[in-house]
Amino acid sequence: MEEKITQEDRNRIQTGIQGKYRKVAQSPEGLFKYPTGRAGLEALQYDLEILKALPDSVVASYCGVGNPFFLDSVNPGDTVLDIGCGAGVDTLIAALMAGPPGKAVGVDVVPEMLARAEENRRLTGIENAAFQQASGEKLPFEDNSFDVLISNGAINLIPDKAAVLKEAWRVLKPGGRLMIADQMLAGAPPRDPAVRIDKWAQ
Amino acid sequence: MLQEAGFKEVEQVAETGFNSSPTTQAMLFRARKLAAFNLGKNDPTGKGAMADYRSFFERVYAEGALDRKTKHLIALGASLAAGCEP
Repeated sequence: MEEKITQEDRNRIQTGIQGKYRKVAQSPEGLFKYPTGRAGLEALQYDLEILKALPDSVVASYCGVGNPFFLDSVNPGDTVLDIGCGAGVDTLIAALMAGPPGKAVGVDVVPEMLARAEENRRLTGIENAAFQQASGEKLPFEDNSFDVLISNGAINLIPDKAAVLKEAWRVLKPGGRLMIADQMLAGAPPRDPAVRIDKWAQ
Repeated sequence: MLQEAGFKEVEQVAETGFNSSPTTQAMLFRARKLAAFNLGKNDPTGKGAMADYRSFFERVYAEGALDRKTKHLIALGASLAAGCEP
């Protein structure tokens, strides 16, 4: 049973996430226990032809935990939402797959990561991608807006996961596809609630 | 949690091996939001979206300031003007 998270806990989680991902926005190298950047993308078997289309500095900003594109297709013309898009590598890949008139939108709560995503977009010249600041708990989109929803290593960081999944369901079109890569707790959570909050971004 | 949110065809597909800590495992999940026409078939309880739609339909056409017959005639006129075929 999920323990209740207080507003104070939420504030501490937010501070921790903002602090960590401010550094990640500069470079994810060395900040995670798994490969990041090109090494991460290749180990996760992202499409090499698509990776060739991305500049080195864009590829270097990747810090995902899985390859959501393994799970199902992004078809030409699709509209795609990336929750917790970070530096936007998955969003840009989705935009390439959906190709105009399809499009991809990425949302994140960390301004520095969104700035890196916008810089990445500018470097690629991809026009059918956009980024905006928003939380997965309250998505600023109409019901039934997207064909595909992806998320990569982000929902584990969000305090109210049930709210995120309900919002994901709401904004997906009927028949829409959800494709998520994320961390699951494999053992018991820390007994001390304070430790649980301090280790939230682990 | 995915099923409680309304998703169907929920699958935990595979581990990715990119675990963030000794107590976490990275997993791939997929699910679908069923297309509207499936909602009735998958709703044997009589609750859910199709039941809500039937309830909405009945309330719209209930006797009120306009009687039921007048409402149906208005709807018929609108559908003919829009070229809405059965």
